[in-house]
Amino acid sequence: MQRRAFLAALAAFGLPSPVGAKAAQGLLIHDQPKTLPALDIRDGDGAPAGLESLRGQAVLLNLWASWCGPCVAELPALDRLKPKAEAKGVAVVALSLDRSGKIAVVNTYARLGITALAIRTDEARAAAEKLNASALPVSLLLDRQGREVARYIGAADWEGPKAAILLEALAAGRPLTPDMAPPQVKMTTAP
Amino acid sequence: MRKTVIASLTILIGWCAGLTFPASAAGDPDRDVVGRFLLVDTTGRPVTDEAYAGKIRLVVFGYTYCPDICPTILNTLSVALDHLGADRAKVVTLFISVDPQRDTVAHLKDYLVSFPEVIGLTGSPEQVAAVAYNYKARYEKQPAADGDPNAYSVDHTASIYIMDRAGNFLARMPHGSKPDRVAERVRSYLYPKKTDE
Repeated sequence: MQRRAFLAALAAFGLPSPVGAKAAQGLLIHDQPKTLPALDIRDGDGAPAGLESLRGQAVLLNLWASWCGPCVAELPALDRLKPKAEAKGVAVVALSLDRSGKIAVVNTYARLGITALAIRTDEARAAAEKLNASALPVSLLLDRQGREVARYIGAADWEGPKAAILLEALAAGRPLTPDMAPPQVKMTTAP
Repeated sequence: MRKTVIASLTILIGWCAGLTFPASAAGDPDRDVVGRFLLVDTTGRPVTDEAYAGKIRLVVFGYTYCPDICPTILNTLSVALDHLGADRAKVVTLFISVDPQRDTVAHLKDYLVSFPEVIGLTGSPEQVAAVAYNYKARYEKQPAADGDPNAYSVDHTASIYIMDRAGNFLARMPHGSKPDRVAERVRSYLYPKKTDE
């Protein structure tokens, strides 16, 4: 109650309108596919592992970091999704934006028991900026030409029926529609 | 009643910040951003803005518990420091928690292992309120939809503040500013052009 009164008082002081850290969440489908900027993605050995090798295949490119709770909470679902999605023609890539590189990924994967997802790091530490990711997690949906056709901001229910429809459409090169949006998953306990 | 609350808070905030200002100035929307604060760092020591005297300060407000999506603001600041190269030694980056209830000293220290170049600051609710007031930053708890009292989020001002070597306000850059632009702005203060107006 005291806190509310305090905030009301702050508002009464005529402080600037709240900027807030709120941002759009959920599935954002682009009007036109966007060409992806070049990214310096490395594997667990530090060798280049860019998306070029996946050209011709649709891709779910998930951006995460070990300091992002909902990102870490989403990883096990992506790990389970990977073989199923790949059977449908959609590659699943989890790209860590951690500045410590591989160490954070190895530790997080070990802690969560991740087995299917490969280690992928943002060597140049530029992916967030290049991909305009001002919040995590975010999953970019890339068509078979490697262009971003949509992105999902926040953690999604990747194992549900909506996601299956979405990924099938992505693999087939069919237009994505808002009704294919999987529900968001809220983090309930710290992963 | 409301005036009483405001007047009391004005005094409280001024007292907490170690500042003295007339009550009439507190309600002035055009008042200046003031860089003064008394908080606690991740070693548990009380710290004021004077601890960073001589350095340009990059200051952001935030909190470490993000149930839905996590802003990449600290990543932005880290990359901005990379862009600054040797000049990064002339800059400190401060992350001020607006969630003192959950962002304890120990938790903040743990979280910032991922960002060793960032100094985490927290404090009592009153200390946090005071620094937010001084910076004209806003924050407000948002209860969780499921009613879980520990799962609230906190809406907050997401700007990047740039303060001079004495802690005075220089600029406020919007959330989403690119790291190279932040570095460029910092450099413009480190090496001001004499021909500037």
